[in-house]
Amino acid sequence: MRFRLRRISPRFDSLWIYGVTRVFVRVAVCFFFLFVVLPQRAGAQETPYFVTYSHHLEEPGNLEIELSTNYATQKGGNDFIAPWVEFEYGVKAWWTSEFYLDSQGTFGDSALYTGFRWENRFRPLMHEHWINPVLYVEYENTNGADKTMIEVVGFDTQADHAVPNTEARKEHQHELETKLILSSDCKGWNISENFIGEKNLGHDPWEFGYAAGASRPLRLSVTPEACNFCLENFVVGAEFYGGLGTSWNLTTAGTSHYAAPMVKWQLPNGVSFRVSPGFGLNSNSHAFLLRWGVSYEIDGFGRKVRSLFR
Amino acid sequence: MIRKLTSGWLLVLSITFGIAGSGSATSPNPSGHGERETDDRGVLQAIAQAPVKTREWRNPYEDQPSALLAGKKLFMQHCAECHGANGRGIGRALNLHLPYVQRATPGELEWFLRNGNLWAGMPSWSGLPEQRRWQIVSYLKSLR
Repeated sequence: MRFRLRRISPRFDSLWIYGVTRVFVRVAVCFFFLFVVLPQRAGAQETPYFVTYSHHLEEPGNLEIELSTNYATQKGGNDFIAPWVEFEYGVKAWWTSEFYLDSQGTFGDSALYTGFRWENRFRPLMHEHWINPVLYVEYENTNGADKTMIEVVGFDTQADHAVPNTEARKEHQHELETKLILSSDCKGWNISENFIGEKNLGHDPWEFGYAAGASRPLRLSVTPEACNFCLENFVVGAEFYGGLGTSWNLTTAGTSHYAAPMVKWQLPNGVSFRVSPGFGLNSNSHAFLLRWGVSYEIDGFGRKVRSLFR
Repeated sequence: MIRKLTSGWLLVLSITFGIAGSGSATSPNPSGHGERETDDRGVLQAIAQAPVKTREWRNPYEDQPSALLAGKKLFMQHCAECHGANGRGIGRALNLHLPYVQRATPGELEWFLRNGNLWAGMPSWSGLPEQRRWQIVSYLKSLR
């Protein structure tokens, strides 16, 4: 399963990363042209967060496909990138299901597939309130080399990612993750808070974490004209996330914490681009993260699939 | 490994887009040009759940032609997939020309857009800023 690019010259000791990046860039470019050219309409109203969830679910029958990646600087080790693909489907107006495929590549080491995750989000209340709860349940089947960092829990630290892939991938993470998502909309702002509880199904205590974010479109109303670069298509925000220890030791010390501003560019045809630099807030954190993603939403995907079988 | 992984992703994406492209962006209205007479009582009841005070809410964009055009743009982006480009509804989605929809006050419609009717399949559009929901209401009211 492991892929190792041969060294071409000592000067390019980590040349293999160019291969990984090149493949990713190619796929992203394909996404870009495919999506920008496609004259589809889409109803995305999601927030720009990478880690925090809001109460806005996928519209029923719509499928959103997103290609994202997480780049991080590594203390005492090699920097890495961790791309993942996610498929988000609106099963019902109150139920969204999402499937992830994770991978990563570490400079000077190797690139590998690290596992999959399947999550479901449910809105228990059928109306909007000041604070809207969403229940989140996820099954994760990944290995220890997973570096997507879509959540930080327990005593996750940057040192965990310095372990060579050959060693890290031996650890099997067979986990159940739950979240209580609380989210509010007020005067164009979205404010969301997530409380995370994760349990390794084989052993280990419950691990806890948090994420919180706020975001707002740069312009609240829209202009009558079709446009790609007007302010209404941009959403800016920031999120904070980190670990809260375990059920044996609930604490904010000894774990990692991050702050990350972000911007999202939402094109009218359903394509969106997100980028978010992240900054570690203590010595247990990676000093710098850079996440970016491109997504496309297919309207009425479920109906189109059903029409194939009629 | 990376190539295999990327190939796998691209295969899945190809299948996905193949399926997505197999249907038209908006299916034709099964009822043609006539008013569709489906069981919309659930929606009627859902609109009726709007608090009384919403009937007094005024659309800040009322009588603004630019808001109507902006609302049409939003409608085409967010609503037309289910309700049809002409607003007459597709499948279970509501025909927005029906009298009781047009009789609803702007405030009730804005409340309904914000809350949706989740159990019946109408999503909540609270993720859209309030100003955009009012722009959509402007357009909905122009359909009569």
